[in-house]
Amino acid sequence: MAQDKTPPPRGLAFPILQHARYGLALPRGALTARELLTATALTIRDRAVEGLLDTEERYLEADAKRLYYLSMEFLLGRSLENNLQNLGLLAETRQVLAELGGDLEAVLAAEHDAALGNGGPGRLAACFLDSLASLDLPGFGYGVHYEYGLFRQEIEHGRQREQPDNWRAYGSPWEIERPAETCLVPLYGYIEHTVDAEGRYNPLWLGWKVLVGIPYDLPVIGYGGRTVNWLRLFAARSSQEFDMEIWNEGDYLRAVAQKLESEKISKVLYPADTVAGSRELRLLQEYFLVACAVRDMVRRFERRKAADFADFPQKVAIQLNDTHPSLAVLELMRILIDEKRLPWEDAWQIVAASCGYTHHTLMSEALERWPVALFETILPRHLQILYEVNHRFLAEVAAHWPGDVDRLRRMSIIEESDPRQARMAHLAIVASHSVNGVAATHSEQVKTALVPDFHELWPEKFNNKTNGVTPRRWLLTANPGLAALLDEAIGPGWAADLGRLRKLESLVDDTSFRAAFAAVKRGNKERLTRLIAETTRVEVDPGTLFDVQVSRIHEYKRQLLNVLHIAHQYLALCEDGELPPVPKTYVFAGKAAPGYWAAKQVILLIHSLAGVIRRDPRARGWLRVVFIPDYRVSLAEVIIPAGELSEQIATAGTEASGTGNMKLAMNGALTVGTLDGANAELRQEVGAENLFLFGLTGEEIGALRANGGYRPAEIYANDPALRRVLDTFDGERFSPGDRGRFDWVRRSLVSDGDPYFVLADFAAYRAVQERAGRAYLEPAAWWRAAILNVARTGRFSSDRTIREYAEEIWGLQSIAP
Amino acid sequence: MNIDFDITRGVTVAKLHERRLDAAGAPDLKSRIGRRIAEGERLIVLDMTPVEFVDSTGLSAILSALKGVAPDGKLALAGCRPVVLELLKLTRLDRILQHFPTAEEATQSIAIA
Repeated sequence: MAQDKTPPPRGLAFPILQHARYGLALPRGALTARELLTATALTIRDRAVEGLLDTEERYLEADAKRLYYLSMEFLLGRSLENNLQNLGLLAETRQVLAELGGDLEAVLAAEHDAALGNGGPGRLAACFLDSLASLDLPGFGYGVHYEYGLFRQEIEHGRQREQPDNWRAYGSPWEIERPAETCLVPLYGYIEHTVDAEGRYNPLWLGWKVLVGIPYDLPVIGYGGRTVNWLRLFAARSSQEFDMEIWNEGDYLRAVAQKLESEKISKVLYPADTVAGSRELRLLQEYFLVACAVRDMVRRFERRKAADFADFPQKVAIQLNDTHPSLAVLELMRILIDEKRLPWEDAWQIVAASCGYTHHTLMSEALERWPVALFETILPRHLQILYEVNHRFLAEVAAHWPGDVDRLRRMSIIEESDPRQARMAHLAIVASHSVNGVAATHSEQVKTALVPDFHELWPEKFNNKTNGVTPRRWLLTANPGLAALLDEAIGPGWAADLGRLRKLESLVDDTSFRAAFAAVKRGNKERLTRLIAETTRVEVDPGTLFDVQVSRIHEYKRQLLNVLHIAHQYLALCEDGELPPVPKTYVFAGKAAPGYWAAKQVILLIHSLAGVIRRDPRARGWLRVVFIPDYRVSLAEVIIPAGELSEQIATAGTEASGTGNMKLAMNGALTVGTLDGANAELRQEVGAENLFLFGLTGEEIGALRANGGYRPAEIYANDPALRRVLDTFDGERFSPGDRGRFDWVRRSLVSDGDPYFVLADFAAYRAVQERAGRAYLEPAAWWRAAILNVARTGRFSSDRTIREYAEEIWGLQSIAP
Repeated sequence: MNIDFDITRGVTVAKLHERRLDAAGAPDLKSRIGRRIAEGERLIVLDMTPVEFVDSTGLSAILSALKGVAPDGKLALAGCRPVVLELLKLTRLDRILQHFPTAEEATQSIAIA
């Protein structure tokens, strides 16, 4: 064979071609977008691995304290563009792919979102990993390697249909399997009571089934590429020994069936970020994650020279993302006591000093409870430990408040209901040295409304860490037009120091800057317009005001309030000849949990209303409503930069923080919102005159609830515009040929008590929408406000959030090269 | 199950020649040791050197033997690999079962005792 004397291409082209040939066994020639995606991702992964190994060396040399972020969800989205951005290789890759006959945009679009999460807390976890690496902090994620992520949403005749999300259908080039670091996870079994040689009680945990957790590492590349951490996801496999047991019984089919049954633990993400009832599989998933994560971190700790468990809290910080991983407390206790033979008090001190807990919501359904009977079946040893934890805790409570039996009952980790339940939030609070909410008002509510007894007992534990979002994904990458404008206007570097955006304030009255800013927004809207046409076949006008409500569909987020207002605008237009202040396009997106009837009805309602409005020539040019299916991170990256009005209209006192509000404001949208969650801090930062707040406050709603003074029927009776809207939903106007399809709207809001105070805020919402519409008619003032929103959202970078966690909770130091 | 029995200094050493002590072989181990205990052999060492994995039935067989020699007999394990020791710790069996690096040390210890 003649030798090829051509020097190998430098840079990225050569390794991309090598991966295509030797990794994918593809012949030389044109590569499809998907093939280029895999080959490019593998190439970038090589670089990430170099970074990973170098970073680990630095951490080992410094004997760095490490943070382990435990979360059942990591809503990662696509990785290639983010990784290229963080390595500074976006431009080079674009060029190289073009030279290879490909197109970067097509390659990026070929990547399937890794949707290993439902919404806010899952995406927060992903933003946090980005910030940890970008700040050179030794922080890592532990999660579940779900085979199927959050379901794919299809819309059929206006109704949501869920389809499985096989995110790894074409493989996942990013992950590195680590079979040598598998973890054994015992489940079920029973306790045999014995005594040891010294006559002490010795419970034996026997009769368990063993699962194996296989780790898969995803590199997390920090901005600038200096530091690469990892996210370790565990996949469940039955142990070979488990297989043999069944095999030996001579029934192959049963063996396979049982093997599949045991491996279902990491099969699918639970499609709801609230857990109700005693769903055994979910508890198994939670324990599986925790057992693998704690085993892994203990192993890593013990590999250190002269590892002494007394030092564990100095070297390990564990953050529990909501209550879902709170079993980590019991698992760590079990390992320290049962395997490492530490006395209870020492073990407890270690656990408490290592663990921090983040609470994410105020919704009662999110306060996780598990039936004690289920614990007994699945985790008998952990239940023993839980009882002991509770016993000692209640002794402390009794000492603090002698004779206060009600308090004991309120605070106990075990709820003495029928059936008895374990309150996981209580466990997490008892076992953690830090308990934080995710926005200032939320953290106050945690202290005063959610768990006031605990705050009274341990005020020092409670603190606030306002959420944030990574400006790399959500501004630099998602909004390249604005990013380029910012670079030009204030210089680079803002993506790593978002506070620099404040420099924009000096440009708010610069007409050419405002024009350029407006042009960027227009370009983003055109991009979204094309996407809407492609996915829904609906034409929208990018010249209209883009009013965006994108989040999970849930009654507390009040998509229904938005819908009522749109219906009002439409009816006023048709019947009163009253034009809206400004032509508008309402953009909705979001998924409803599969079992959540009311949320699914809202999706149907939006589609029905949208269809009626679209077909009515009177509305043409004034109102358009569109629902974009299958909301996910990559879709959010197109919608958010195009948003002009950001709907953050949850009932005050229900939204812990929100992060969509931050992303939209960071991209120049003005918020229409209630004084809830992080909206209050947004107002503080951007200025009350630069957003549109409305509605009852949390205190006002609390007072109405407390004194039973809320009478939605009266509001209905006294507001003719509202009455018209609700009466119309009762008829066929929005459901031709199907009268009664939407009679639940009036029923739920008027007759059934309107638990989310939709009617109470309707008039104020109408008024603020009117004001926002009129404001849009004054472009100079509008763009001024939009620029100030961008300029003043530096605080909402997740870098700031992580710095606070690192300093105030974890005691973590940056280990830069 | 492939097990050799040998008696040294009054101690019965049961040498396992299997990689797995699981549902396949544990019942056999249990019954063979049980017979010897019934015949009066009360000092027993289980040489686990080749064993790479013990499942819950294997552990139950060991526990059954331990109960069988009680109250005046002794059972010790020898040659346990790290993964087996991990399982013993996980179940807390290590607190009621002695284990030694080799069968010789185990024999010496319980023979003296």
